Amino acid sequence: MSNDTTTRTKSAGVAPEKSDRTFWGWLSVWTPYTALMKLVTTSPRRQFVILAAFPILWVLTQHLGPMLQMLRVSLIDAYPVAPGVEQHFTLDNYARFFGERIFWQPFFRTLIFAGTLTFCTLILTFPVAYFLARHVSRKNQLLMLLLLLIPFWVGEIVRTYAIMILLGNTGAVNLVLKWFGLIDRPIPFMYTSFSMGIGIVYLTALYMLLPLYSALEKLPKSYGEAAADLGAGAWTRFRRVTLPLTLEGISSGCTLVFLISTGFYATPVLLGGPSTTVFSETIAGFFHVAGDEWPTGAAFATIMFVTAMLLTGVFQKLMYALRKGDTK
Amino acid sequence: MTRGNRILLSCIYWAFVLYVFVPLMLMILMGFKDSKFIGFPIKSWTLDWYLGVFADAEVVSTLTYSVVIAVLSTLISVVVGTWIAVLLEGRKFLGRAAIFGLTILPALVPGIISAIAFRIYARLLGIEPGMGAIIWAHAVHNVPFVALVVMARLSTLPKSQIEAARDLGADPIIAFLRITFPYLIPAILGASIFCLLLSFDDFVRSFFLGGYEPTLPVLIFAKLRSGMSPEINAIATVALVLTAAIGIWAERFTRRTNKDTNP
Repeated sequence: MSNDTTTRTKSAGVAPEKSDRTFWGWLSVWTPYTALMKLVTTSPRRQFVILAAFPILWVLTQHLGPMLQMLRVSLIDAYPVAPGVEQHFTLDNYARFFGERIFWQPFFRTLIFAGTLTFCTLILTFPVAYFLARHVSRKNQLLMLLLLLIPFWVGEIVRTYAIMILLGNTGAVNLVLKWFGLIDRPIPFMYTSFSMGIGIVYLTALYMLLPLYSALEKLPKSYGEAAADLGAGAWTRFRRVTLPLTLEGISSGCTLVFLISTGFYATPVLLGGPSTTVFSETIAGFFHVAGDEWPTGAAFATIMFVTAMLLTGVFQKLMYALRKGDTK
Repeated sequence: MTRGNRILLSCIYWAFVLYVFVPLMLMILMGFKDSKFIGFPIKSWTLDWYLGVFADAEVVSTLTYSVVIAVLSTLISVVVGTWIAVLLEGRKFLGRAAIFGLTILPALVPGIISAIAFRIYARLLGIEPGMGAIIWAHAVHNVPFVALVVMARLSTLPKSQIEAARDLGADPIIAFLRITFPYLIPAILGASIFCLLLSFDDFVRSFFLGGYEPTLPVLIFAKLRSGMSPEINAIATVALVLTAAIGIWAERFTRRTNKDTNP
């Protein structure tokens, strides 16, 4: 077996050597190439500029650009600008948000919803991550994690549809409840905040599980044993050792899940009802119609983005302070 | 005490596995129902819905459209993401932190906001809604994932190898092509598969930047809005099998190459 691999690597090593005399050797003496290299490598400074120019240009124009243009559109009175008409700076688009209940209510509903669901996801996945990291042998860990990853590769729409089939009036849950004689007529799970919550947790659980798992996996088992030797009970061990040392994983998992769940559009449309309108539906509404409502939509999206970033920023700062406070 | 804990925890794990798998299983099963109406119990079975998917020209062309978008956007993301990673990893310069922050920005923006920001920006750039716009949006959105994966791999490359190559007379480009790039291949392939899946599964960007031709998730969404039917189950199952198969293959592949390169 080992003999076989050595001969394989040897024979694999021969091929590039041969091509050395052909392609690479030829390239390194090819005049246009050497001229180019001379130009590029004259100074480390120029070399760096050539390497850095494109990435910096890309992140500024493609990553930051869309956000800045959204901010700009949110501050003008009409977009796209009609020819011959001057555009004016205005804050009216932001004022509209506070003026009408149908605008700010979905906004606060979204924040409360996303916060609650993040917490539920944490409670749901923590024992799973804990089990995988502490009670399963190394070899099985990967397999059992892989098992959970498979559904994660399936898209948002397909998984949302699967939840619709599970919870519908003629869905699997109602069928099982009827079999056991617990209900006479189906419970209307669908188009409520319940079905929406189940759907969103279903979509985001893995984003919580993975950071938790990697935090728990890094935690040496001996810490818990040491605490036990010093007389700490199971609950104390969890509260004083495991929890403080996994705060980093908890904080990144919660941040991810919160940001993702505020941004869902199709899932609330398909699983929610009129009483569960979330802010992404409100924002999208301004983009279905012709362009004249875009500034308002852009303003609302900016409000949501800034709020989400501020909340997660404050949350991360808090978790950081908690972590530092505990190690002191 | 610990034994009881362990059993309880393993029950929670398997319950979680059920929660994750059962809805998808039910969806696949419902595609075999011999009726136009979705719902349990299933009394008679048929293969017609599944066979119908491949006979449906609209579904087949949508599937091709989605795959082409996924492949092209992945190519762009991989080139740009790798380039950014090579710039950022192991180099100190003024503004590095800012560039890194901007690099991961598209991955942090919530879905709907990212979609409409792209929609507004596409108009500024003069890109019409349609295939080009979707490819562009997917490419930008996926760059952070490539950059992060490639940076992680790059940080484990022994510096001495590059130095040896340079000492032997290789210029920076040849050193990159012959030492760095081959070392990065597993990470680049892993990131590509991830981008392919992200693009193929993406709904919100495809929905807001698409023209008249839908991608597969957009088609399923449109059909769902006009009512559930086993036909949709069959289409969704095709998407599911495709993505899960690619995912499992990629997982095995990356694990094998990781074993080969760092035993």
